[in-house]
Amino acid sequence: MKKVININFQGQVIAIEETAYEMLKQYIDRLTRFFAREEGGDEIVNDIECRIAELFGNRLKHGLNCITDEDVASIISSIGQPEDFDSDYEETASQPGAAASSESREQASASAPDDEVRRSLYRNSGDRILGGVCSGLAHYFKTDPVWLRMIFVLFFGLLFWVYIVLWIVLKPKELETNVSKRLYRNPNDRFLGGVCGGIAAYFKIDSWIPRLIFLLPLLFNLIGMISFFPLNFLFDDVDFSWNINMSVVVVYIVFWIIIPEARSVKQKLEMMGEEEYIRSIRERVSSNVASNRSRSDGREVPPATPANMAAAKEESIEKVSIDEMPPLPTDAYNASSNMASTNRPQVAPSSERSGCLNGFILLLKIIFFTFVGFLALVAVSAFVAFLFAGAQMMPLKSLFIDPGQETTLLYASLILLVGVPIISILIWIVRRVMKAKSRPTIGLVSTILWFGGLVTAGILAAQVADKFSEESTLERSVELMPVEGKSLYVDMKPYQDDYSEFRIGWGMDTDIDHLPYTNVNEDSLLFRDIYLHIRNSSDSLFHVRTVAASSCHELRGAKADLEEFSFDITQHDSLLLLPEFLMVPIEQGFRKQSITIEISVPAGKTVEVSDVLNNYRNQEPPSVVRRRIRNYTQTYMTMEPPHNEDEESEVGSEVVEQI
Amino acid sequence: MNIENTQSQMRKGVLEYCILSIIKRGEAYPGDIIDEMKSAGLQLLEGTLYPLLNRLKNAEILTYRWVESTSGPPRKYFHLTEKGEAFQALLATTWNELATGVELVTRKPSEESDMNNNTI
Repeated sequence: MKKVININFQGQVIAIEETAYEMLKQYIDRLTRFFAREEGGDEIVNDIECRIAELFGNRLKHGLNCITDEDVASIISSIGQPEDFDSDYEETASQPGAAASSESREQASASAPDDEVRRSLYRNSGDRILGGVCSGLAHYFKTDPVWLRMIFVLFFGLLFWVYIVLWIVLKPKELETNVSKRLYRNPNDRFLGGVCGGIAAYFKIDSWIPRLIFLLPLLFNLIGMISFFPLNFLFDDVDFSWNINMSVVVVYIVFWIIIPEARSVKQKLEMMGEEEYIRSIRERVSSNVASNRSRSDGREVPPATPANMAAAKEESIEKVSIDEMPPLPTDAYNASSNMASTNRPQVAPSSERSGCLNGFILLLKIIFFTFVGFLALVAVSAFVAFLFAGAQMMPLKSLFIDPGQETTLLYASLILLVGVPIISILIWIVRRVMKAKSRPTIGLVSTILWFGGLVTAGILAAQVADKFSEESTLERSVELMPVEGKSLYVDMKPYQDDYSEFRIGWGMDTDIDHLPYTNVNEDSLLFRDIYLHIRNSSDSLFHVRTVAASSCHELRGAKADLEEFSFDITQHDSLLLLPEFLMVPIEQGFRKQSITIEISVPAGKTVEVSDVLNNYRNQEPPSVVRRRIRNYTQTYMTMEPPHNEDEESEVGSEVVEQI
Repeated sequence: MNIENTQSQMRKGVLEYCILSIIKRGEAYPGDIIDEMKSAGLQLLEGTLYPLLNRLKNAEILTYRWVESTSGPPRKYFHLTEKGEAFQALLATTWNELATGVELVTRKPSEESDMNNNTI
């Protein structure tokens, strides 16, 4: 008994058995995939569809009620499987001349690559997660692609570029798997993605074992959360860090991504081995029959027919179709057919589960998706914050980057580095939603553009770095009136006018002393890069001098910039006032400008620095300045602030003796 | 050496020539071509024909027009372009050379030697 459906095929209404329809649909899917890389592939598939429709029409005209499995099978065999005309037509495509001409030399060259094809490296377009590089490599080394994918994920930082290069260099080609056993996700035995089910099938163990391994940290954590759990003290020493939980989730997601799902019969056979697979079908069938029977006459479980099973096993791998076992219900057929929808086989077992178990599974799923959601939220918000911070940095742009060529470079690299990926992701999503075919050229072009962005960014970075390549300093001594008392008091003169800060983002500006500020006219930059340096005087007088430092791409530029610094130190008797900011014209931009004030203290006298200047004292002046200061030693930096007069004079005299 | 491989190589070479010759005689749609090839005893996988026609069409050797059909969807009737005529003619000369050459080479050794003697 078979269900017949009506389909609209190439403008004709055709009555067809449901199973035959599934077969046809798969066949056309395979054709579509096969001809996808051919120019005008759609048209070819359409032509073939027309032909099939015509053959259907003929058959129906001869008095048949509907198209059956046999009809479809015979049509498919007369048109041929894509694999069969693969070699046929591809060689004629590449060697039309060789086939037509009688030259033996060309004949030889036509047959020679045939053997090499099997051993050369391709990207496998038939089995891929990203570009099919791993899969192609696995084909080359005759291993399961999953292992290579794991290596690439584990050594992501190292192998990222290798992957990109291989992606670009290697040619795509549909490759048949050449390993008999592979790790797949098992759609028939799954809670979430079927990862654990697949692992269990691969290692021939019960699926609760990998599941438990994955869930243990989560369970421990749950126990740890419930503080009143009576045996909680037992787990005190165990580290249920959130990190372990997270990493388990991440590992699961990575597995979910890199392990393909077993969809076709062939893949399922590769997943669990032939015998296992047939056994699992047998179990499913018998349980299905049992449940059917039990509805009518109680719990009577008939044994599965071993003779049929044996017969099926004799068939070749491809042919393990349930047609050999006529009494099978459609459910089993679906499970074995390529189109096995992943949900349908799931329905039967879940209805048998008790309500409690279902609740538990639901709970686990909720917990899992909360984890994943949390992770995703963190990732997205980090990305958004990054973007915003970048946007907030834009006012600072003019300080580093000159208008003109450099600005063009900046925007070009921004568009290429950020815009291109976003646009290609959007295109990908749209194509995914529209179910359009992916075009490899788009990927290639956007990759090339992105690399172009890297190059421009590199050039820009080099240019910006070049501005800091030459450092120069300018020394000025400040005229001091003779100081009457024993001490010189140093204080800060606050900036009298208003000024505005460059804001980077939410509250991030509070701690950054070294970022420049602008004054209210926005014609000057105000820096806090001020360093205070105290040393012994060589005579009996106080001396003050300033060492200004700046960098530029050439020394002359740096020298010219230094002349424009404004830093007016004023003296009122024994009080020395330092301005709050170092002021430079805004045209200079940010060039690591700084100023160091060096106060020379004669023996027997002290200097008292106000607390507001502590910041200046505690930081070390830039290296270019340190080289300029004679006898610069770490001692000055680590020295206590000179509140204690004795200590100050002591240290002072000590150094004097050294000199 | 795989016999099937050699056989398919042999067939492949003449496939285009056969198809073009059939079309040269008059407009034809893929169904006709398949029927004719089959009745002549030339095995042809239909799946191979469509991509081949498509490529010939892309190479401007063939063009087609749509013809409504009483049984089924509209059909593509193919005919040769000028370029296609020339292409087919070239293939024909090549084939004739090949056929006579093969004939000569594969004849029985005794006859062959006789013939060689005669010509010399």
